[in-house]
Amino acid sequence: MNRQILHLDMNAYFASVEQQNDPTLRGQPVGVIGSSGRTVVTTCSYEARARGVKTGMNVWQAKQCCPELILVVGDNRRYTDTSKRIVAMMRDYTPLVEVFSIDEAFLDVTSSLALFGSAERIAYLLKARIRQQFGLTCSVGIAPNKLLAKLASDMQKPDGLTIIHPERVASLLETLPIDELCGIGPRLTRQLNRLGIHSCGQLSRYPLKFLQKRYGIVGAKLQQMARGIDASPVVPVKEEAPVKSVGHSMTLREDVSSRRDIERFLLQLAEMVGRRARRYGVSGRTVHLQLRLADFDTNLGRQKTLPCPVNQSEDLYRAALEIFDTLPVDQPIRLLGICLSNLQHQAEQLPLFGPAQRQWRMTTAMDLVNNRFGDATLNFASVLNNREKGSHVISPAWRPEGVRCVDVR
Amino acid sequence: MSMVLRGKRVRLAAIFEPGRPIKPVWFELNRRQHRVLQTTYQWQDRVGDAELLHFTVSDGEALFELIYNLKEQHWSVHAQRPETP
Repeated sequence: MNRQILHLDMNAYFASVEQQNDPTLRGQPVGVIGSSGRTVVTTCSYEARARGVKTGMNVWQAKQCCPELILVVGDNRRYTDTSKRIVAMMRDYTPLVEVFSIDEAFLDVTSSLALFGSAERIAYLLKARIRQQFGLTCSVGIAPNKLLAKLASDMQKPDGLTIIHPERVASLLETLPIDELCGIGPRLTRQLNRLGIHSCGQLSRYPLKFLQKRYGIVGAKLQQMARGIDASPVVPVKEEAPVKSVGHSMTLREDVSSRRDIERFLLQLAEMVGRRARRYGVSGRTVHLQLRLADFDTNLGRQKTLPCPVNQSEDLYRAALEIFDTLPVDQPIRLLGICLSNLQHQAEQLPLFGPAQRQWRMTTAMDLVNNRFGDATLNFASVLNNREKGSHVISPAWRPEGVRCVDVR
Repeated sequence: MSMVLRGKRVRLAAIFEPGRPIKPVWFELNRRQHRVLQTTYQWQDRVGDAELLHFTVSDGEALFELIYNLKEQHWSVHAQRPETP
């Protein structure tokens, strides 16, 4: 029996939530921006898109395209809560829900058809409930696998429902440009174009041995994709592979160059990473520091592997600072990031003596206070002047639960 | 648009009905009673161990964000946004 996979993609998600929140924004060109000083348009409404505004544009560029653009500072907590409730709604139809990002998910409804009739009916029910409860629209694709379901949902926006039947796959893909497939980005498209491959039909007929020679095992995978073959399962959050790293990064409001400023931002990041690691009972041996310099193009990064796994913020901070001192930083810094990897779950060794035990007790006390009153209620004195505390960006890896469920502000 | 209030506690009347969402009816702010004509959006989040219910409401003149702290059992107004002309 063919699988029945749904891909649900919320339409202009953040902007649509803002338009529901403030009715006067409905039908208007709306751009959602972050709260920091370096604002780019995170996303925009369809009305703004029709006037040439695109995601990622600087505010001044967007205003040039669309002078009447209304800018709204996004509220990430509103978006994550709405997303969690939509995912809960999807679980009314199948337990096999894979959250792909904050506004996209796959559902495997193959085993739910006896209960609900057809995948198409489930799609209509979901669309109606989402519209009724939140006033939001979404596009749904139905197909025998995830690759084609995602392709289908992209075909009708906004508020679409597209079904790709198995017998239509070959004819549909014959002339489809390769960059329409999820997983084939601009760089790979350029490379394939140079080989004379522009459509999925051409890619599916290209000699496999040439593709394998050039791309290794990915070559075979590319050809399978071009034929509409994708056996990857829908993986619910609880069955996802354990996380391999815990990290945070922050684009600073202003470029920083003084040692003191860099230290306080590193300490803040170390506390964010350490706190999340401690909350989920993980510790790690490898600390990775990432920097982006003021010219925007220079990215520096290096990692250090410690003798034993750590999750105390001070240990992370010290390791990050040691790495920082080895990097050739010759410009002010625009972005800082700390990542803890080489993770072990529930492997923390409790210290028994001396300063390490005092540090552990202090961290535990801080965590208890912050668990009760909210993140960063009790913090290191040197980071008190940092204007932005906590995470302000929803990562593409965000999930509604587990380690990847980062509390955003 | 401008945010002019942050977390000011308010006196408020709301309907708590079994099986239905909480419905704010009116609230008092600066000695003026604002009647809630429309609740445009609802969502929730958590600060520490306190769960907060957020209601974006309109009195016909402006948008307000009312917050109900389930732990402390109090209402506050978080933001006021004059409606966009």
